[in-house]
Amino acid sequence: MPVIWVMTMLSVRNLNAYYGESHVLRDVAVSVKQGEVVVMLGPNGHGKSTLLKSICGLVDQITGRINYKEEPITGMATENIVNLGLIYIAENRELFPHMTVLENLKLGAYAKNARPHEKGNLEWVFDLFPRLVERRKQLASTMSGGEARMLAVARGLMSNADFLCIDEPSLGLQPSLRHEIFSIIKQISKEGKTVLLVEQNIPQITELADRIYVMEEGQISFEGDKDEALGNEHLREIFLGM
Amino acid sequence: MRFKHMAIIIGAAYGVMAILPLFVGDIKFVMNILIMCLIWAVVASCWDVMMGFAGIFSFGQVAFFVMGAYCSGILAIEYHVTPVLAILIAGLFTGGMGVLVGLPCLKLAGPYVALVTFGVHMALQPTLRGEIGIALGSGGSVGLLTIPPISMFGYTFSSANMVPTFYLTLLVSLACALTIMLVIKSYWGTAFLALKDSHDFAMSLGISAFKYKLMVFALTSFLTGIIGAYYGHFYGVVSFRLLDLDLFSILMVMMLVGGLGHFPGAIIGAFLVVAGSEFMAPLGAYRAVTMGALVVVLVLALPNGIMGLFMKNNAKKIYGS
Amino acid sequence: MFSEDTILLLYEITDVIIAGLSMGSVYALMAVGMTLVYGVTKAFNFAYGDFFNMGGYFAWILIFGLGFQFMGYLGVLIIVMPLMFAVGYALEKLMIAPLRKREDWENKVMMLTLGLALFLTSLYTVVFGVRMKSLPPIWEGTLEIGQLVFAYQDIMIFVLSLGGIGLLGWMLNNTRIGMAVQAVAQNPVGAKIVGIPKERIFASTFAISTVMVGFGGILLSQKYFINPMSGGTIMIKAWVVTAFGGMGSIRGGLYAAFIIGMMEALVGWVFGLSYGIIALFILLIATLVFRPQGLMGKGG
Repeated sequence: MPVIWVMTMLSVRNLNAYYGESHVLRDVAVSVKQGEVVVMLGPNGHGKSTLLKSICGLVDQITGRINYKEEPITGMATENIVNLGLIYIAENRELFPHMTVLENLKLGAYAKNARPHEKGNLEWVFDLFPRLVERRKQLASTMSGGEARMLAVARGLMSNADFLCIDEPSLGLQPSLRHEIFSIIKQISKEGKTVLLVEQNIPQITELADRIYVMEEGQISFEGDKDEALGNEHLREIFLGM
Repeated sequence: MRFKHMAIIIGAAYGVMAILPLFVGDIKFVMNILIMCLIWAVVASCWDVMMGFAGIFSFGQVAFFVMGAYCSGILAIEYHVTPVLAILIAGLFTGGMGVLVGLPCLKLAGPYVALVTFGVHMALQPTLRGEIGIALGSGGSVGLLTIPPISMFGYTFSSANMVPTFYLTLLVSLACALTIMLVIKSYWGTAFLALKDSHDFAMSLGISAFKYKLMVFALTSFLTGIIGAYYGHFYGVVSFRLLDLDLFSILMVMMLVGGLGHFPGAIIGAFLVVAGSEFMAPLGAYRAVTMGALVVVLVLALPNGIMGLFMKNNAKKIYGS
Repeated sequence: MFSEDTILLLYEITDVIIAGLSMGSVYALMAVGMTLVYGVTKAFNFAYGDFFNMGGYFAWILIFGLGFQFMGYLGVLIIVMPLMFAVGYALEKLMIAPLRKREDWENKVMMLTLGLALFLTSLYTVVFGVRMKSLPPIWEGTLEIGQLVFAYQDIMIFVLSLGGIGLLGWMLNNTRIGMAVQAVAQNPVGAKIVGIPKERIFASTFAISTVMVGFGGILLSQKYFINPMSGGTIMIKAWVVTAFGGMGSIRGGLYAAFIIGMMEALVGWVFGLSYGIIALFILLIATLVFRPQGLMGKGG
């Protein structure tokens, strides 16, 4: 147990989510403390992304309780949630294809609270992703998969968020880029941001994670720190591939 | 909706219609309204099959109606063709026009289909009024004034002879409604539902969207042309004023009242709206204002029309964003 | 050098070109408004032409009904443009936004706006009468270069329309809200993720398009007339221009507007005015057969 009291950034209780008639999340409870990197593992299509989207106000049909910095945000409009400092970074990137890298980044700072920090954040993001600097005038649609992924993360950071919900950042990337993006996430975390990360089954994720949740069929089936996760036979076999 | 339910509703609606002349057979004005109910029911149903059922956003239905009326009228006046034969030819002609309009349309996306079909509607008026129309015998800005009535078995079916005319109209209208019902419930109908549900999957089963949609174009414009021609012979007068936006919108109100895509709702809708619009006659110039407002309110407040009120088992669906 | 007849013909051709350019510029204004709304919100507005007349009537009420006089048309524009914006914004919020969550909502919007078109057309007829109204010219007089005569009115229509389009283009590329509008058009989900209030952008875009078309209404009504029944025809023309250029493509709309403006003036001169709309459709269908997405529209 930590010695110093750390603020709970996010706490999710009894969260249920629906898409039309399918019940995607069933009584999910998750909590993330300030400065943590929490990884949500689980097979594809079992509700991990839906959890992140529900937190960020992108799912219409939800019930339950989501608190951010001890304030309820359930059912709030996405623009207000973003303004509070919570941002979703999509697995399929969701960039603006006919805009340049720079324009994409600037739109990342659309939220009212992000606007005053736009310049500073832009410098910071260019420091983190040096290869975006040279491509600032390039259209987003002409970028390679890896670069587009970097841009998506960078655009998320432009929102001046304290809490990042990152959806499968390594999806479809080759190992070297995967490594790069994880080390950047590590660095972002060192600079004080809190991260909730969704991944499928990649071994190196455990290096990054402070704690791990596993979601199966819309329910949390495991919760613990990474040593516990590595010690759990069932998880090792199924998700960590070891 | 199940076949049985459809048949019951159609049977009930036309059954009620069939008894009415017993009570009001002497009142010419009311009989006239009843005949209009039957005629517009066909047009509204055809339009509904096109828009609600096949998902083709066509705005050409009134144009096909007018084409049918003019075609048959011109044949009867200029070439002295017997009305019954002229009506059939008019139906085939509009059916062909339907295919002709459908061919370029079906490769286009939704709003373009609406545009091209509405374009046919908009271009028809200057065509009929202008020199091209006059050369064909459209009567220019006067329209057709002397279309002969249908006469069969010693009867002349015109406004001078209301009750028999009513029953003939009932037969024609019912035949059209039954054709539509059979089509919806046949293999065609299943194919359409498949296409609506999952376009790609249906295509992979070898269901060709293009073929079926073209068939719907042909069928609905054929039926609309027939009933348009029939209208011309009943009324004796046809003018391009039928192409004004009022009629267009009233037909749309009929579909909305009945419930878009809920055949035979359009038939009920037509009966109610034609009668209702007569009640609104005292409103004079404000009638069109009311009709317009009615469309807006109906779209917003009654998404499934009258049929929606009866559908108990259709639980409210939840759509995610 | 030239015979009398040739010179007369040359004058006539110049007139046709000027008419084509001034019509084309107003078409461009309307098409840009329409294509913007379609590109961003995917909603199609059937009452578009009636908003054209609404602009004209608002100006007419101000000038003749209320005797308003302040800096000529500038004062009128200062009052009417925000009014048009408010009408468009309220309409989107109250009538179109609630439909957006329904199945098949694009078609429902078309039906609703068609009803609105009938409502407005008949309302104008009831309120203002069937007789056409005219507005005073924006700038009287003519400019004579040698023997060529240009009406200032035409020049003003041309300049102001293009000015309006230029202003819109500048706003789209240089203001935060403009960028947000483009973002919603390019990727609605992405826009929502970064915290752009999508619903407000939809309503604003719709409102901007009513402003554009209302502005067009004021410009053309002082050259021709305000006809309460003309909404449908105007909407169809704007739509043809938009579809010809490619729905959602602003640049395509611009080119299409001038091509069609010219063509209409030419067909009107050679065959008579009523053939304009027929020629329009032949051109449109011919284009769509070869390019189903219009001149510059994106595929799919």
